[in-house]
Amino acid sequence: MEAWGLLAGTPGWVTLVAVSGLCGLLVLDDTAWGQTWFSQPLPAALLTGLVCGEPLTGLAIGLPLQLVMVGNIPVGQTFLGDSTVAVSAAVAAAALTGHHLDPALVFGDPGLPLLGWLVVGAALLSLGGNFLVQAERRAHVPLMLEGHRTLRDGDLGRINRLHHRALVMTFFRGSLGCLLGVLVLTGVWIPLLGLLPATLHRAAGIVVVLLPGLGVGTMIDRYGLQRSLPWVGAGLVAGGLMAGVLR
Amino acid sequence: MPSGLRWKLYLAALGLQGSWNPQRMQNLGLLAIMVRWLEGRPRNTERDRLFCRRYYEFFNTNPYLANYLIGGLVRLEEESENEASVSPDLIRTVRDSLGRSLASIGDQLFWQGLRPTVVMATCLLGLYGRSWYVLAVFALFAAGQFMLRWRSLGRGYSLGLDVVDELADPRWHRAIAWTIRCGMVLTGAVAGCYFLLVTRLGGQGDGGLLLAGAAVGMGLPLICRRRPPGEILVLLGLVLAVVLAFALPAARS
Repeated sequence: MEAWGLLAGTPGWVTLVAVSGLCGLLVLDDTAWGQTWFSQPLPAALLTGLVCGEPLTGLAIGLPLQLVMVGNIPVGQTFLGDSTVAVSAAVAAAALTGHHLDPALVFGDPGLPLLGWLVVGAALLSLGGNFLVQAERRAHVPLMLEGHRTLRDGDLGRINRLHHRALVMTFFRGSLGCLLGVLVLTGVWIPLLGLLPATLHRAAGIVVVLLPGLGVGTMIDRYGLQRSLPWVGAGLVAGGLMAGVLR
Repeated sequence: MPSGLRWKLYLAALGLQGSWNPQRMQNLGLLAIMVRWLEGRPRNTERDRLFCRRYYEFFNTNPYLANYLIGGLVRLEEESENEASVSPDLIRTVRDSLGRSLASIGDQLFWQGLRPTVVMATCLLGLYGRSWYVLAVFALFAAGQFMLRWRSLGRGYSLGLDVVDELADPRWHRAIAWTIRCGMVLTGAVAGCYFLLVTRLGGQGDGGLLLAGAAVGMGLPLICRRRPPGEILVLLGLVLAVVLAFALPAARS
């Protein structure tokens, strides 16, 4: 396996450990500590790309995923995929297997099947990661119940220990989840692309171009089409003009 | 509030959701914060037990605005040591009602207003290939929210029960309305930029099919009136891409 061989090189492992640590911190940032939004798909992908020495690959993978996930609102118990882990794993997998990806819409090449294939892979990883997120949240319940002992004996240190244990658990979910994601993507998902028929190959190249539209449409629907029409219309004209002038 | 205590509470409050659980949500996180204040008091097992019991009930609020409540609760706890008028029941009522109000304002301001606005702004920069600016905008948001949390902790403490008046300020709702409008404009700007870029890609030999696909993709959520999570949208996009791949000339590959 070519991908495995590249990964097994010393620099590959060093990068992998660095990405895994970064991903643990980003997952902490997602909901547990800080919530700076650096764990959003675009900045997470850019940071992972920087660690791997491939910031453009980060932009290429992060941008369509960010646009399509802008409507994912983490309120209460609503659905929450694990996009941070998925996006970091996808960028790391591309970089560690020696692929350099350019953002399709920015640099004008929509026919890059690997980019689309990795974006789809990241979405599937994120869906799978949702089970891990839910499992972790359920694992916090026994910690919380253990805290009841403090209500009887007044041991304040126990509360701090339980809370810190939950934070450490979150870090390792991110860190180990990222490692697992990179292994799945490099060992199975990327090689699978070569086995796809030509039409699916082409579809993988097109999907990246379509995703921003789906994301924007979802946001307009969320705002309410009638209510948002004048504002979105004004932005549409401004965006079109800006794109025309600046490029 | 003494500076040392403020720092301890501030840092602990950043992890309010660290032990979020489906049964009582942020209760362990809130107690872990409030314990920072209690640790500075002489030990009294009976009082500590009752204190912990008070904060171990169901609790959920918006993490960005929670410090108004935490500052206010610390102030009320201090007052309850000296004044009989501040009862544990009053503290419990303040915690629940203020927590709900802050959740409502915070969710509208941050999740419905600021999040899409910041994300769309950075995506617009991303579409122009400005990676560093993207990170700079997120850093700016991070610095802003850290400052808000710091300020709101002190403000909540100095206002005590009067923090309710702060939340009644109509500027909160004006801020929500304007951030949502900014988000709409930026969404439109991203759409405009996106369509122009797709038109250029289409001009490379695919005719209008790619553009039509993009328009269908954008129109689909508006027609279906469903808001699936982004991951499902990616899979939906793949289905649409397969249809287009059959329609587009094979030379494209």
